[in-house]
Amino acid sequence: MSSARTARRLNRILAMVPWVLANPGATVTEVCERFGYQNRRQLVDDLNLVFVCGLPGYGPGDLMVAYVDEDEVVVEMAEYFARPLRLSAPEALGLLAAGRAMLSSGLGSPELAAAVMKLEAVILPESDESVVVDLAEPPYVAVLRRAAAEAQVVRIEYRAVSTGAVTTRDVEPWMVFSTLGNWYVRGYCRRAGAERVFRIDRIRAAAETGDRFDPPEELPPPEVRYTPEEDDVRATIRLRPAARWVADYYPVEIDADDGSEMVVRFSASDPAVPARLLVRLGASAELVEGDEVARSAADLRSRILARYTR
Amino acid sequence: MRNVIERVLNLLAFLLTAARPVTADEIRSTVSGYDQDSDEAFRRTFERDKDLLRGMGIPLERHPTDAWEVEFGYVVPDDRYALEDPGLTDDERVALLLAAQAVRIGGQVAGPDAILKLGGAPLVSGGEPLAADLGLSTEVLGVAFSAVADRRELRFTYGGRARTLAPYGLVHRRGHWYVVGPERDQPELVKAFRVDRADGLEAAETAGSFQPPEGFRVAEAVPDAPWEAGESDMIARVSFDQEVAWLAERSLSGRSSVVEHGDGSLEARIPVATPEAFIGWLITFDDKAELIEPEELRARFVARVEGTI
Repeated sequence: MSSARTARRLNRILAMVPWVLANPGATVTEVCERFGYQNRRQLVDDLNLVFVCGLPGYGPGDLMVAYVDEDEVVVEMAEYFARPLRLSAPEALGLLAAGRAMLSSGLGSPELAAAVMKLEAVILPESDESVVVDLAEPPYVAVLRRAAAEAQVVRIEYRAVSTGAVTTRDVEPWMVFSTLGNWYVRGYCRRAGAERVFRIDRIRAAAETGDRFDPPEELPPPEVRYTPEEDDVRATIRLRPAARWVADYYPVEIDADDGSEMVVRFSASDPAVPARLLVRLGASAELVEGDEVARSAADLRSRILARYTR
Repeated sequence: MRNVIERVLNLLAFLLTAARPVTADEIRSTVSGYDQDSDEAFRRTFERDKDLLRGMGIPLERHPTDAWEVEFGYVVPDDRYALEDPGLTDDERVALLLAAQAVRIGGQVAGPDAILKLGGAPLVSGGEPLAADLGLSTEVLGVAFSAVADRRELRFTYGGRARTLAPYGLVHRRGHWYVVGPERDQPELVKAFRVDRADGLEAAETAGSFQPPEGFRVAEAVPDAPWEAGESDMIARVSFDQEVAWLAERSLSGRSSVVEHGDGSLEARIPVATPEAFIGWLITFDDKAELIEPEELRARFVARVEGTI
C-alpha cells in the first residue's frame, strides 16, 4: 500500500465531505463528476469509510453519518470537517503560476483572470501580484499557433541553432509550446522529410503558404526530446564542478560521477552543437574523446579569435 | 488502506474538536485505532500517521499542555487547517483546472488534488491551448513562495555568500525563477536571485517581518535578459554583423541601446551584471559578433574562448 495513494484518497474524502455538507441534495452523478470518482461504487466505498469514523465514544451519536439515499448523497454529523483543507504552499504556487502563465500568454479567459484574482486574494492577501510569470513570446508565436489550429502549412526562414545556417522551409505545424523560457513549434518539415522541432526565436520570418495538411491523429508530448540516431557524432566530455549543470540541461549519458567531476557522453546530429558547448564552458570542461567534435571546436575557436587579434 | 484512513480520520476529528493540546498518551487511550499492544508498535503507527497528515499540508503542531511546559501535546490550529474559501464559481474552477493541466512545473502538472480542495471541478474535455513547462519543482519553489506569502525572511547561500533576504516576490522570466528583494544589510537595494542557484533555502520563523515599499512592482525588479541579474556593473559595447542583427535585437532588453549602421550591422551598449551569462550568450553568435569594450570583459571573453578560464 503506497502512502501517496492513501494521501490522495484521504485528500479526496476531506474535500468531498465539506462540499456535500455545503450542497445538500447533491446527486451521486454530481459528486462523482466533481471529485473524479469513477463510479457509484467508489464513492459508496468512501462514504462507508466515513460512516464508521467520528469522535471518541464511537457510538451511534458520535460517528459521522454518510450514505446514499436513492440518488442523493447524504453526509451529517461531520461539522468538524465542514471546511476544506487549505492548499499547501506547492499546491498554491502551482495553481497560481499555471494561471499566471496562461494569462501572460494572452490565452486566458475572463473566468481564469477572475479565478486567479480570487485565489491571490486568499493566498497572498497582503501582496497581490507578488508572483509573476512572464512567458514573453517572440514574434510569430501567434502566427504559428493559428496555423497549427487551422492546419495551414507555413513557410519559415530559420537559423539553425547548431550551425547558424539560414534555410527556408515549408513546415506543417502541429503544436506550439514553451519550455524553460523558449518557445518551440513541432511539426513535419517538408524540406527534411521528417518531424522537426524549431525554436521560434530563431525563426526570422513565417507566413502561411495557403496549403493545408492533415494533422497526425495523436500528437507527441510538448517537450524537446533528442533521440540519438545511428550516424550521430559522439563526444565524451569531462565536466568540472562549474559545468555540472550541463548534465541537467542536455540529454547526456553519465559515465562517471564522483560528486565533484562528471564524465558524460553527448550525441548530436551535428558536431557544432557539442563544439559550441565546449567553447562556452572553457576551462570548466574537457573533451576526452571525439575527434570530429574536437575539430569543430578548434575551428569555432579560431574563427572567433580571428576577430579579436587585431 | 482502509484502516489507515479510518484511524487518521478519527485522529483528525478528535484533534479538531479538542481545541487544546492532547498528549500522545491521551490519543493512544482515546482515539479508535491506536490500541496497539506494545509502546513501540503505537509509536511507529503514530509517527507514520503524523507524516501522512503533514505531507498533506495539515498543520500538526506541538504545544505545551500547561504553562509550566512539562508536558507537550498535539494541536491542529483551526485557522491554519482550513482553506479560506476564495469563492470560485464552477466556470472559474474549470478555467483554473485547464490552466493547471497545460502548465508543468518541474515536469509535473499542478495537482488535481489542489482543485479538489477548492471544491472540485465538473468534468470537462477541453483542448490545451497552451503547453508550457516552467522548470524547477514546486517543492523547491514552495519554500520561497511561502516566505513571500507570509513575509518571512529567506536565508540561502548564493555566489558563495550567505544571504538574508526580505522576499518581496517570485518571478518566472526567460525560463528561470527569481526571488526578488533587498538583503538585510542593504535594505535600499532590491536584487533578483535565481532560485536554482540559491542553496539551502530556508524561511525564517517570524511572519510579517517586512513590508515592501508602497507601489513596489515585483515584475519590474527582474531584468529582461539573464545577464542583467547579478552584482557586476558594466556596459558592454558589442557589434553584431548584419546577418545576425535581427537575432541580437530580439534578445536585448529595453535597457540596452542600439545603433544600426548603413550596412545593416548593429552596435549595442548592453548592461552586464553577470559576465558568465553574457559571455555564454555571446558565444552563440559564433564569429558574427565582437565584444569591443570594456577591455576587462573582452579579455575575459577571449580567455574563455581560448579555454584558459
